Order: sequence, then C-alpha cells, then structure tokens
Amino acid sequence: MTLHQLKPHFPWITLLALVAVVGVAHPNFLLPANLISMVADIMPLFIMALGMTFAIYIGGIDLSSQSVANMTTVLATIALPGLGLGAALVCILAGLTMGAVSGFVTTRLLVPSFVSTLAVGGIAYSVAQYLSGQRALYMDVTLRDASFGWMIGSSFGIPHEIVVGAALLALTWFLQSRTVFGRALKAVGAGEPAAAASGLPVRRIKVLAFALSGMLAAIAGLLFSAKLSGGSPTLANGFLLPAIVAVLVGGTPLTGGVGGVINTLIGTLIVAVIRSSMLYFEVDATMQQMVFGIILIVAIAATIDRSKMRIVK
Amino acid sequence: MTGFPNREVLLRWAPLIVLLILMLFFTALEPRFFSVRNFARIAISAAPALMVAVGVTFIILMGSIDLSMEGAVSVCAVSFAFVFLWLGGSLGGWGWLALPLTLVAGAVLGLVNGLVHVRLRIPSFMASLALGFVGTGLAMLMTGGDRIRIEDPAFRALLTTRWLDFPVMIYVAGLFLLLGWFIQSRTTLGRNLYAVGGGEDLAHGSGLNVARVRIMGFMLAGVFYAVGALMAVARIGIAETATGNGFMFTSITAVVVGGTALWGGTGGVWNTLVGVLIVSVIGNGMVVIGLPGYLQDGILGLLVIIAVVLSTDRRSVSIVK
Repeated sequence: MTLHQLKPHFPWITLLALVAVVGVAHPNFLLPANLISMVADIMPLFIMALGMTFAIYIGGIDLSSQSVANMTTVLATIALPGLGLGAALVCILAGLTMGAVSGFVTTRLLVPSFVSTLAVGGIAYSVAQYLSGQRALYMDVTLRDASFGWMIGSSFGIPHEIVVGAALLALTWFLQSRTVFGRALKAVGAGEPAAAASGLPVRRIKVLAFALSGMLAAIAGLLFSAKLSGGSPTLANGFLLPAIVAVLVGGTPLTGGVGGVINTLIGTLIVAVIRSSMLYFEVDATMQQMVFGIILIVAIAATIDRSKMRIVK
Repeated sequence: MTGFPNREVLLRWAPLIVLLILMLFFTALEPRFFSVRNFARIAISAAPALMVAVGVTFIILMGSIDLSMEGAVSVCAVSFAFVFLWLGGSLGGWGWLALPLTLVAGAVLGLVNGLVHVRLRIPSFMASLALGFVGTGLAMLMTGGDRIRIEDPAFRALLTTRWLDFPVMIYVAGLFLLLGWFIQSRTTLGRNLYAVGGGEDLAHGSGLNVARVRIMGFMLAGVFYAVGALMAVARIGIAETATGNGFMFTSITAVVVGGTALWGGTGGVWNTLVGVLIVSVIGNGMVVIGLPGYLQDGILGLLVIIAVVLSTDRRSVSIVK
C-alpha cells in the first residue's frame, strides 16, 4: 500500500491510535459510561461541524456558524415561553435564513465566502445582542423540560443528545450520498467550472449548502441552550475553531469535493478524545486552543489538494 | 470620455464621500458630535485599529488575506508587558528596550504566518486564521488568564499627554501611517506588493521572487500589528489575552470599506485611513446619538458586503468560493 492509498484511512486510524494511547495510560477512559458521556458532550459541536462540512465540501467556508449558534441560544430562550416547541422551528428557520443570505451574497454578489460569512456573523451577533439586551438569559426549567426535555433526557443509558446527533448524521448522510442534490454538491466541490458547464445550477446548489450549514449551526445552538437551560450572545464562543478542526481532521479538505459527513463524525470524535486526553494527562486547559490551532494547520497541510490550486493566495 | 464621472473615479472617491456624509449626518442629529473633544475620542479609539488595518492593507494589496491579527495583537501586548515589567517597568530605565523587542515579536509572528502560507501552500485566510487561534492560545498560556497592568506614567503618557487636544499616540500613529505610505509607494517592497496583487503570473514571469515578497509582506504586517498592540496597551493600561479581541472584524472592514479591493493590486494606506475613520465615526456616532453600540457589528457587516460588491469588477471574476 502506498501513502496515497493510505490517505483516506488516516482519520479513523488516528482515532483508534488516540483511543488506544489514552486507554492504555488511563484504563478508566475506556469505561462505556465515560465514553458515552464524552460523545454526548461533543454533540452540539458535532452538529455544527456537520453543517460546516457542507460549506467546506463545496470549497467554501462558514465563519458565521459560531455567531449563528450564539444567536439561536438567545432566540430559543426568548421564544420558549410563547411558542413552546415552536421555538425550535423559529431557530431552524433563522439559521436557514442566515445561511441562505451568506450563500446569496457569495454566489450572486461575488463576495468570497470567508468575508460574506464573517459579515453575516457580525449581523447575527448584533441580533443576538439586541434580542438578549446584552445579558445572559435563563430558561424556565419546567417550560424547558416540557418542550425541549426530549433532547436532553436519557433512555436505556443512551443520552438523547447522541440520538439527535445520530438522526442528523443519518439525514445529512442520506442527502449527501443518496440524492441528486448530494451528487451535485460533489460535482461542484470537485470542479466548479465543469459542474457549471454540464448544466448544473451551481449557484442554487451553493446557496443550499450554505443554508444547510446555517441551519445545522442553529440546531447546534438550540441543543446547547436546551442543555445549559439558557442563552447569551457569547454562549457558544469557542465552537468555531474545533468545528473547523473536526471537518478537516476528518478528511474533508479545504479544497472540497471529497470527504463528507462520516468523515466529520470521525473528526469530531478525534477532537473529543484529544480534549479529554488533555484532562487525563493533566495538560493545562489554557494549552487547548494552541494545540487545536496547530492541529488545524497540520490537518490542512496534510489534506489539501494542491493540484486544484495553481496560485495559492 | 465624457465629463461625467465614470465608475473608476466614483469608486476612488466614494469612501471619502461616505465619510463626509456620515459626519454631516451625525452632526445634524447631535451637534456635540462635531467638537474637538469628540474628535479626540474618535482618534483615540481609531489609533490602534489604524495600525492593525495598515498592516493588513499590505497583505490585501497582495491579494492575500490575514486573519491572525487578534492572536498577534494579544501575543505582542502580553509579551511587551512581560518584558517591560521584567526590565524594570519604566521607560526611564531599561524598559524602553521592550518597545523594539515587541516589534521584533510581531515580525516573527508574521514570518511564521508567511512561511506556513507560502511553504506549506495553504490559502492565507486559513493559515492565518489557524495561527490567530494559536496566538490567542499562546497569550492565554503566557498569562494564565490574568490581566497585566502597565502603570508606568512615561508609557501611559502616550494617552495622557496631549498636544493641541490630541494625545501623543495620535501623532505616533500618524508617523507610522506616513511610514506605511513610504513603504508602499517609495520602496521596492511596496512596488512588489502591488505587482503580486496585480497579477501573480506576470510578477513571477518578470523574475520576481513572489514567495519572498509574500513572506516579507506578512512580516511587515506583523510589525504594524505590534505597534497596534502597544497602542492598545497604552490606551487601557492593561495587557491580556482579550487585548486583541475585535481587531479582526474592525480592521478587515476598515480596509475593504476604505476601497482597497479584496482581489489585490489597488488601494493603499490612505484608503485604509479613510476606512478606519468610517468605522470609528459610525461606532462613535451611534453612541453619541443614543443608539446602542451593539448594532455596530451588524451595520459594519452590511457595509463590508456593499463595499466588496462595489469594488468587484464583475466581468473579471468568474468563480468565487
């Protein structure tokens, strides 16, 4: 086997190796209860990373995810008393809209996605500040349990966050692998000029990809706010870096076209294992951001398809 | 050519016109806006942002982008504070050495950024975003989350001593702006930055060492981030991980709104000055007329989109990612 053939298998080999290393040093890590709670804790991040996958898959990026998630934590908390479960719908629609706006600005107004999503992120942040009155808000616990309780409960020892994450994974996997839209996404990611030349509505596909990214970021925010029983314009801060890391470490390169949501699952689990291993090996928590930043650079350098970029800007 | 101002002329002057209209608008709503005191306030808030924005201008001129400024500013601010206090904590003693050392630290960060971008062939927006995260993490690691107070009166004089109603740091910022202009228009490096931004193929074809120019550009930007960091510390008297917060959005907005095209090759530090003033006038004016300050990010977001749209020649751009 050559290195080239081995490349697609790197992510899960990395994951197994990491689990083995941590497991040998600290056998407690491998206790099912521990693993399950680790996976449950990472679910909001996983859902955001799922959305990010679509933006990166078509060769773009979504820097607004964190702000959109922040906005939804506030939105969910405010809408809960009046709308009950309807609050979830409001959040999803808001995320969808934000993502679609990013997509529109990118494809129609020809603004590169890292700028358009940064700008839309700024707008989402302002909305969150406005709606929350710049305060941290709390959900009424009975109301929360009545409407969102199903998201954060637990049955047969499996926390419901994992069920929500798995359902979204199944849904996005189906979209990506079993629909015409999914095929079109791959075509756009693999080579946009060719996709356009073969008659695909490239713009519409890209707008949809960004809309999906926004929607999943919103669901991530919703789950997070249900979990913490509140919302604030900064609640989800710190999600952006690990979400991008999860997608890239999983093997979806910045240049798009290969990889996908299953890769992101593996990437997210790698992020989760690294995070908890830092606790086990008593690495100072202040190291975390630096470590993930360096991992991000390594992951990009290892996965990026340089044949697609004649000039690197 | 008719006498009617064509698109290019209009685009060239649009930022300045927008700035004037904004000032008229805020003055009409609240006459107190138009006062020396308030202008000094705007200038103080604009000075650190201007330095950072001038730095990133050089990068955008090359057609690249740098998103590492928040991390870079934090690292520079924190390292300055450590070295400054270690050297006695006063500009009167050996503490002044911390100033040039901070500029060197900024250049080193820029060098790393440039090397990762050029040698590993990673698009600059992602390389710099990742390094920005590393920088913020490094600053966090150095401080352990603490704030470091800088109380040396000689250093704080940058803010507290005023000449003609404006603090000394405004004049320092002005000097560095002139330096930026000099580098941009009177040095080989400056010309090379424009050459790379105008068309990398041509620049490469005419024998320019594009990789070297790019790395030098990032180092130059790093030095300006360090100057911005020093001013940010002088302004509030504290160095911490959060010192860099907000600089990314503000500086990118300022550069783009000022009329430097994201595609490279046009614009420059004077555009950035106008852009920073637009951003600061909006921020200050909204507070003066009694609008909540948090609307600023949203308005700047809209402004950025409009500015990029206006500065894009739609015939020459086919694929946007």
